[in-house]
Amino acid sequence: MQIYNDYKGHADFLTVYVREAHPTDEWQMKSNVKDDVCYVQPKTLEQRMAIANDFTKRFKYPLPFGVDDMANAADLAYSAWPERLYIIDENGRIAYRGGMGPFNYKPAEARAWLAGRYGEVKHPEKTEIAPKKS
Amino acid sequence: MKLFLKWALGVVLVLAVVAAGAISYMAGSPKDALYMVRYAFPHMHRGTLKVGDDAPDARLLALDGQTRFHIRERTAGRPLVLVFGSFT
Repeated sequence: MQIYNDYKGHADFLTVYVREAHPTDEWQMKSNVKDDVCYVQPKTLEQRMAIANDFTKRFKYPLPFGVDDMANAADLAYSAWPERLYIIDENGRIAYRGGMGPFNYKPAEARAWLAGRYGEVKHPEKTEIAPKKS
Repeated sequence: MKLFLKWALGVVLVLAVVAAGAISYMAGSPKDALYMVRYAFPHMHRGTLKVGDDAPDARLLALDGQTRFHIRERTAGRPLVLVFGSFT
């Protein structure tokens, strides 16, 4: 969430939880079993809210958050599933439309848009400390 | 003519095997490839939104389970970065 920390002074951020990508009753991934992220596809808004809350608590997720309704209105309007990034400008127009995740989910592109407008935020490279020779 | 059909069938089979192999590689396994075809492929060219279009609106529910708000309420004054996704 480096992009959020770097640009939250210039732009607003909103995470929108949409229907699950890899629930246990559809296309479950081995990595989710390994990470203990196993949920069935929610059938009610309460189930969706419970998963969204699990997610934000587990990762101490700092971004403002909203949950899509069971008609999947946000997902359908933005072709969002399974994951996708957008930037909407001050005039309410699409300024950036990311590709469909995971293969074309590219936060670096959204970051480049923000950097183009507000300047690049650089981070000093982490330097490894060499172990002392005895 | 028969020879042509044999060759055409052979080429189609080879292409099908190559495509299945490529999708399996991308997805991680043949089983995941089947799921990818079933769940992901129908979404790949979904939607017609493009840069410059008016951003659509949708009503969301906040994590408190009570507060409802619209995406477009959040677009006044500053750019809005929308991050769509799920837990899994």
